[in-house]
Amino acid sequence: MKIAMINGSPKLGQNNSGIMLKLFEPFIQAAHEIAQYTISKEPLTQEQYLALLGADALLFAFPLYVEAIPSHLLRMMTALEKHAKREKKQGLYVYFIINNGFYEGTQNRIAVEVLENWCARCGFRFGMAVCQGAGEMMPAVESMPMGHGPLKNLGKAMKSLAEAIDNKSCGEAIFISPNWPRFMWKFQSHLFWRNAAKKNGLNKADIGKLMDNQHAAD
Amino acid sequence: MKMILHDLSQQEFEALYPSVDANTTVISDDGAIRHCVGCFGCWIKTPGVCMLKDGYQGMGELLSKCDEAVIISQCVYGTFGPFVKNVVDRSIPYILPYFVMTNGTMRHKKRYKNTFDLTVHFYGDVTEKEKETAKRFVEAMCVDFHCGKHNVYFHEDVPAEGVTK
Repeated sequence: MKIAMINGSPKLGQNNSGIMLKLFEPFIQAAHEIAQYTISKEPLTQEQYLALLGADALLFAFPLYVEAIPSHLLRMMTALEKHAKREKKQGLYVYFIINNGFYEGTQNRIAVEVLENWCARCGFRFGMAVCQGAGEMMPAVESMPMGHGPLKNLGKAMKSLAEAIDNKSCGEAIFISPNWPRFMWKFQSHLFWRNAAKKNGLNKADIGKLMDNQHAAD
Repeated sequence: MKMILHDLSQQEFEALYPSVDANTTVISDDGAIRHCVGCFGCWIKTPGVCMLKDGYQGMGELLSKCDEAVIISQCVYGTFGPFVKNVVDRSIPYILPYFVMTNGTMRHKKRYKNTFDLTVHFYGDVTEKEKETAKRFVEAMCVDFHCGKHNVYFHEDVPAEGVTK
């Protein structure tokens, strides 16, 4: 089976969506022919769009951007819809891995609805979605054993997703948070931002900078 | 201050708004916008300002001065069209990287004291399911941006009237 994996992160270089695709690949059968696509730098070519339509299944991985799909990926999906209609390609199975920076995987719920609507417009089959919270945790945990520790929920979800792809079947979206306390994730995130700003010569107060003498929130 | 963000052609917009007062800022597509690249520079390098200097880097500051925002966008799968979504994605300097809990879930903390009301006019061929998604999307986005009141309207075609009040 031909599977096209589309990394929908807008980031150049290492990104959480890429890590999640890399961690997912061992879950699916080795016999599959996998092609990788990125859209962060350049839009896809006409040939690449046709290649996507020639696959047996598509797997998108992307970060949640303001409740839905990052704009560059949205552009790509509208273009793919046009190509699919022109080529009269229907019934393609599409799967998704979504991550967001908050803790709760359920915050990807509206994005899943948008994807279902896109599949309906294209005539594609919405296969399944794995929706993960605390996506920014991935670089710190990617070398840990999948299915254990903070990756316990993700391991189970990826297994279900792989079974769905292997069998070209459809299933419900799975919403997961990491096996890690929420207060710890919040604390670590705040520490991360302060340390990152410090590397740029900024202090805690600088992060809250206000433009043009506007007032700070309470 | 009022902001109008739209994805109409210049001609369509001028038909809708023959004149715009000095207290209103209009954000439209000049073809130069770049997509957010997830660098977080607007939080940790130049806080409050996007690093991409393409004319759309000041969305955080603009929103900090608004008490009213109007968005006119094609409805695409229950969300905004790509240009409007691009501008909204580039507006995160308006908020802080820190988390707060709102109704049991995490959100980003407010940077500014101001609050703006949001009115969204979606246009185009929209299914009932897409309408429901769009309403939920705007409601959630208002939580993200700590908006005040919000209203959502749907129009079958590019609106020619009824969005200017």
